[in-house]
Amino acid sequence: MLEVQGLWAGYDDVAVVRDVDLEVPPKGATAVLGANGAGKTTLFRAIVGLIRPRGGCMRFDGEPLSGRAPHEVVRRGIVYVPAERELFPQLTVEQHLELGAYCVPGAFRSRRQLAYDLFPRLAERKRQRAGTLSGGEQQMLAIARALMASPRLLLLDEPSTGLAPRLVAELYRLLAALLREGVTILLAEQHVQAALKFCQRVYVLKDGRIAYGGPAEALRGNPELSRTYLGESRGSPDPTVGPP
Amino acid sequence: MIGIVLDGVVQGLQLALLSVGIVFVYGLGGVLNLAHGQMAVAGGLAVAILLQARWTPLLASAAGVVAAGSVALLLDRTLLRPAYTRRGEERLLLGLILTLGVSFALDGVYALWAPNIALTLRMPTLSIEVLGVRVRTASLAVGALSLVTFVVLLAFLKGTRVGQAIRCVIQNEVGAVLCGVDVERVRTLTVFLSGLLAGMAALAQGYFSFLGPEMGSEFTILAVIVAVVGGVRSLTGTFLASLLLGLVNAGLSYAVGTYLTWIALLAVAVLTLLVRPEGLLAYWP
Repeated sequence: MLEVQGLWAGYDDVAVVRDVDLEVPPKGATAVLGANGAGKTTLFRAIVGLIRPRGGCMRFDGEPLSGRAPHEVVRRGIVYVPAERELFPQLTVEQHLELGAYCVPGAFRSRRQLAYDLFPRLAERKRQRAGTLSGGEQQMLAIARALMASPRLLLLDEPSTGLAPRLVAELYRLLAALLREGVTILLAEQHVQAALKFCQRVYVLKDGRIAYGGPAEALRGNPELSRTYLGESRGSPDPTVGPP
Repeated sequence: MIGIVLDGVVQGLQLALLSVGIVFVYGLGGVLNLAHGQMAVAGGLAVAILLQARWTPLLASAAGVVAAGSVALLLDRTLLRPAYTRRGEERLLLGLILTLGVSFALDGVYALWAPNIALTLRMPTLSIEVLGVRVRTASLAVGALSLVTFVVLLAFLKGTRVGQAIRCVIQNEVGAVLCGVDVERVRTLTVFLSGLLAGMAALAQGYFSFLGPEMGSEFTILAVIVAVVGGVRSLTGTFLASLLLGLVNAGLSYAVGTYLTWIALLAVAVLTLLVRPEGLLAYWP
């Protein structure tokens, strides 16, 4: 679905993502793992056009993606949910959903109920301003807003950051529901175990380069291997299990 | 007394027309346009020149407003482009310097090409009786023009898709991009709109009293003061601050004279910064 070849990207004179090859197959979840500063966010920002890649090529459904403006990327069906969420603090939950459907005529009416079905907590807070929601609710709203644009590929950057373990488990149940709806997911995560459990395919970024790319089971069943690639995440607890 | 209040309200409404553009472009584009007043003057001079060429007042006025908008559009499409590629403080600073340069350049052009052209529009009936006070029809026309423009603007922002996009870009540019809003187009539209409004303000000034080629900087300073007092991201705040400053202006002009009034207006801005740095209303409506 999404193919990235030899991608270089960064800021000013610093290359953060170096020569990255990545492939996201349709109808499933793919994870990008790696420590803080490994280049996960930069990779995502380059894919959706928020920063201009230095080199390499990207294709979505066979069509070139490089150099497109971010609003065009959204229209093609790739929607990005950044770790910062980027909500509008003064607008209500419902207004967010309306804006999420901005580029898909009629989507607000047809998809609003889907969003509220997936996130009943948001349905209870329709008229509440985003700035007054809790961290977990804000994350839900960011995802719900992204869903309104009828994405075929959803890019989630650290969706579980700052969430209590119970909420992380709930979040992953929701993401599983999205997969069943036919949405493809590309996920950046620091909760390695949760991501390995959820995704079929995994890439490990280290200093901006791909250190491992392949099926998730290879890392899942092999703590040695996963320790080699994900050095500092050793012993990171599985947040879906909850506190002992 | 009623006369002064009425005068103040009308001046305030006119000030609102002038200021809302600068607030818009700052809130949405992150550029404080120091050539805003010169854009207004461009519109006013265009009207004056077209009237000399014997255009009908209505047609000349419309063309003048479009002229002011076009100057803004040109600025957005050319000189401001390098500023837009930067973010935050860098964009603000580059925008300040670029638009300051443009304001000097335009002042020079006006002084060279149109040194003796001034806009004063004469209304057929000079004054009528309202609430027992003699009011110039020009004042009423300016007040009505500003009010109608403001109502249309609010309806546009609240009721249309583009208006909705403008409001969400003002709150969070990245968030708007993620929703698929073409920020560049929204920004260009906003700058054009701010130029149109500046042109209308110049027109109002021409109706009200007199508009000369050298008044650009004066307009800009007034608009900046209003923006500071009203809060740089709030349309309603801009409106309230304009009314307030219009009243202060009218009252003090009457009581202590024009020069001291300028100092008083600046003092109001300074006081606002000290007491309520986010402006009267910090956020959009």
